[in-house]
Amino acid sequence: MSSPTVAETWVAGPLKRLMEDARLISGVLLYPSGRAVGQFGFSNAADVMSICALTSAINASSRELGRQLDGKPFYEMHHAGAERQVFMARAMAGAQEFLFVGVFDRESSLGVVEIYFAEFQKALEKLLPEKQAKVQGPSGDFEGELNRSLDALFGPIGKR
Amino acid sequence: MKAVGQVVAMLSHVPGVLAAMVVGASDGLIVETSPMLAGAAVVGDSRKHTAALAAYLYSKVTRASQAARLGNPAFMRLEAEQGHICVVGARDVVLVTIVTPDANLGRVRLDMMTAAKGES
Repeated sequence: MSSPTVAETWVAGPLKRLMEDARLISGVLLYPSGRAVGQFGFSNAADVMSICALTSAINASSRELGRQLDGKPFYEMHHAGAERQVFMARAMAGAQEFLFVGVFDRESSLGVVEIYFAEFQKALEKLLPEKQAKVQGPSGDFEGELNRSLDALFGPIGKR
Repeated sequence: MKAVGQVVAMLSHVPGVLAAMVVGASDGLIVETSPMLAGAAVVGDSRKHTAALAAYLYSKVTRASQAARLGNPAFMRLEAEQGHICVVGARDVVLVTIVTPDANLGRVRLDMMTAAKGES
């Protein structure tokens, strides 16, 4: 199991603990804008780029779906495949919002992932640097933000 | 087959049982639970955590038991400083009880096994 690679060092500890405790195969922590903050289980920047874009879009869709169906946004999603399962949820740290998507198999369970994700959220809350407390909203430059975060995780293009 | 609500109600009335739960074996999520008995020495509501981790532990114990060619575990009891956690498998669910240290474990075991037979 490889250690997480992070664009912001303060998330490394909580992300590693979540990965180990919940026995996740892979996972990505990102801002709702699609900018990656940390990842584990991936060696290819293109995969993380796709996951960030899809997670960001799924998050926006599921929130609106929740509003339409239930009058309030859906913040957590679980999809059980034949072999692997996907857990997707938002994590709040102060006013800052993050999204997390993780993959697990029969070595874990949804209940276990939910428990350790709640602990992960508490850890983010506790460790959130003060300068980070100012909410990072989307800059409008989705592609640029995504590429900068991928450079931080995997190194600049050409050196990956 | 008894309804899960009946199983939980029956187990929660066994002397010494602080909480009884029916939990999904594969996802570790609570299907049905009794309230945590007043006076239980726990901070906050620990049932969700207990359910998920007990189901997870039971799945690992099942693998260990099968690896040792002993078949599936019939009954699992975890003895802690301030009580016990008992788990019995019943097909797609596991029955979980949180029990006081002075409870009649023989009675708890018997009632859980009987309930599990009714569930399967």
